[in-house]
Amino acid sequence: MNYQQLAHPKSAANGIGRRKSEREGGMKLDNRLHSGKSGISKTGSIGSMPDSKVGGNLSPSHDRLVYFLTRLIGHHVEVQVKNGSIYSGIYHAANVNKDMGIILKMARMIKDGSVQLHRANTESLNKAFAKTFVIPAKELVQVIAKDFSLAGDGLSNELQLEKRQEILIDSCISQARHVDSERELKPWIPDEDDPQRPELENVFDIPSDRGWDQFEVNETLFGVKSTYDEDLYTTKLERGPQMRELERVAGRIAREIEGEETQDLHLAEERGVHFHDSFNIDEETRFSSVYRGGVVDDSGYVEEEDILLDSWNTETFGSAPASIMIGSLDGTDTDATQASARSSSTDGPETSHSSVGVDLSRIGADDAGRLSSELTCKSVLASGDDNRAQERSLSEQRGHTELDDAGKLPVSETFNHSISLLKGKSGSSHKGGVLAKAAAPASSTVALTDHNKMNSRGDLLETPTLAKSGETQSVDSHGRPGSSTSSASDRLGAASAPTGARLTPSSSVGSLSSEKSNLNPHAKEFKLNPNAKSFVPSQTPVRPVSPAGDGSFYYPANMPGVHPMHNMPIGVGMGGPFAGHQPLIFNAQVPPGQSPQTYLHPNGPHYGQHMLVAHPRQLPYMPGFPPDMPYKGRDY
Amino acid sequence: MATDSAAAAAAAAAVSDDFAIGCFLSIQTTFGDEFEAQVVAFDAPSNILVLHILFPISTEGSKAGSRRNLRLLKADYIKHFTFLRHGEDPLDLSKCYIDLDAVRAREQSALRQAEAGAERIGVGVTSEAQSIFDALSKTLPVRWDKSIIVVLNEVRVSSPYVPESVSGGTAIANERVKKVLELERKKLQVRPTQ
Repeated sequence: MNYQQLAHPKSAANGIGRRKSEREGGMKLDNRLHSGKSGISKTGSIGSMPDSKVGGNLSPSHDRLVYFLTRLIGHHVEVQVKNGSIYSGIYHAANVNKDMGIILKMARMIKDGSVQLHRANTESLNKAFAKTFVIPAKELVQVIAKDFSLAGDGLSNELQLEKRQEILIDSCISQARHVDSERELKPWIPDEDDPQRPELENVFDIPSDRGWDQFEVNETLFGVKSTYDEDLYTTKLERGPQMRELERVAGRIAREIEGEETQDLHLAEERGVHFHDSFNIDEETRFSSVYRGGVVDDSGYVEEEDILLDSWNTETFGSAPASIMIGSLDGTDTDATQASARSSSTDGPETSHSSVGVDLSRIGADDAGRLSSELTCKSVLASGDDNRAQERSLSEQRGHTELDDAGKLPVSETFNHSISLLKGKSGSSHKGGVLAKAAAPASSTVALTDHNKMNSRGDLLETPTLAKSGETQSVDSHGRPGSSTSSASDRLGAASAPTGARLTPSSSVGSLSSEKSNLNPHAKEFKLNPNAKSFVPSQTPVRPVSPAGDGSFYYPANMPGVHPMHNMPIGVGMGGPFAGHQPLIFNAQVPPGQSPQTYLHPNGPHYGQHMLVAHPRQLPYMPGFPPDMPYKGRDY
Repeated sequence: MATDSAAAAAAAAAVSDDFAIGCFLSIQTTFGDEFEAQVVAFDAPSNILVLHILFPISTEGSKAGSRRNLRLLKADYIKHFTFLRHGEDPLDLSKCYIDLDAVRAREQSALRQAEAGAERIGVGVTSEAQSIFDALSKTLPVRWDKSIIVVLNEVRVSSPYVPESVSGGTAIANERVKKVLELERKKLQVRPTQ
């Protein structure tokens, strides 16, 4: 086998300057390695090296040396040279043809041999790193490699270990500082006068039946009696004649359950079913506990909306401006409403935002009332259809109608808005401030409990007055949380998102006073409308709908000329953390798998499913309120 | 000269069986190092002894797979050695394979780490200064500028690296560096081996 010249440095002359910045030829290294490797593989037959070759350096011991040198590549080594200096670096190559010269990379002197030893260590200075450092054979005294694994054969597992070490950046970083303080560990030698404790040495040798019962000992020593009764924690098995029978049955059931086919990734994993071989499922999906996807229970919305609609129709469903919001949904307009509602429900996603708005603007006041109810229904249905576009447009419509006929539509507006809120899907950004106005009372009405409903009705009576005070003002008065109308959708989205399921009109109507469970038996299947417009929050913060039973309301401080209105059942109470002026940006487009009922707006108050409170809800706090937004407080 | 006689002795030993593989020897080098080691390989032409360093107290039954220290010592520099006992060849020849790729990769990664680490070592600074640098770098971005520690790219700490030698930067940064420096120094005093 051929031991070629190992990385013999070009300028190598022995004894000449040690610091060379030459580029180490990777080639030479390869040569050496290859020859080394081939040499090693033949080491088995010691003494029989027929093709050993050139230079006659073949001896098994030489092979071993080469083997070690090869294994050493990449290791941190310390090299001591003739004058006593010690250099530390990464071993790169060596030439062992005649004599051993070494090449280190990133080497530096850590101990200067020429310095008198009695000099204090603190005065030693760090030396610069040499990229490539050649130590001629004549200078070499010894090479020390620490932490060298002897039997390991440099196979892939070691490589992985190295890789892992590289990846542990943090620990590397934090430990890198202390590299110098590592000491060679020495086993502990007990002092001579240390008492011998032979029993301690055998702690792990003795099997468990050591004859020491801790409970016994405890009792004797301290009189502590153990009151543990296993049956408190487990079911006692009746070990009787039927035991076998029961066992069999139980086993069968267990097998059945475990053998069930499951779509759940985690269950499959547990049962060892290779469910996901064909999917590109990453680790997060496989092992995370975050539930993404699955059944969408959006049905609750639809059903409840429908029910609400019906119940509303039976309620005061008039278009009288001064009528309560709910009143606006009068029976008089029921048919029309229904019809329009139905028809509107057919509005496809193509109902564009702008178009609706435009339409709305053209709506005359005389039609306002009707339209409002229509819109109301529409909004209701829109929600039911999970058609955001519709809702949005409806919201817009309402908003616009509000604009045109402030006095007439406030109630319906709000109602609609509240519905939108409930749905939490509307993402339209309506420009007018009307929506806000409308929304507030709407939300309050829609909000929840019977109590609230009553209150809101009363409150709503006042809405029209508010509405007349002006658009923006009305907005404020409605306590629309400091949002311009454009944010209506935002609010809606935010508000309704968490509580949508709960704050269904149905509940407010009182026909369904009991809380609905999450699973609605009549629920319609959620059909994703891919054309639905994505929710784009406006510039105003979103306020979630909340029960407004207390009649208190919050009016956004940034709205100039806000009139504090008392007993406005605006869906205030919620407060909740707003992001100040920052629009709450969230993708209102509920992903298909997400159950809207369980969706909690990240910024909104997490009232949970039972947000309907009968009693006035205090405005909890206004976190995240920008300092420039003076909070005028609430009036109860 | 000592080295000559040592070399002669070593040479003599090399010829004999004393340097047989697996033997446990107690060696003293011309530099005063003393250790016990097991011979793993010996290369006559280059007179290099590959030794497996054991702990000062030889531990029986140490596994072959464990990590030890390896020393490649030139036999010329052995001042004195004592033959302790025979031992088995610690190397299992049938298992000696080398994965070249792994070796290369290890070298690369070591080089990378070393280069990264090289940035942190100041040139021509005392070890105390280096310790201070290391301590500061735990929480602040620091770098070396000759022998000045530059913190947060604006505050400079020059020798002797006491709070008084902190200069530059905004008042806040300056204060902070001073404080950290003080605390780190205290810690260093408590832990002298740091």
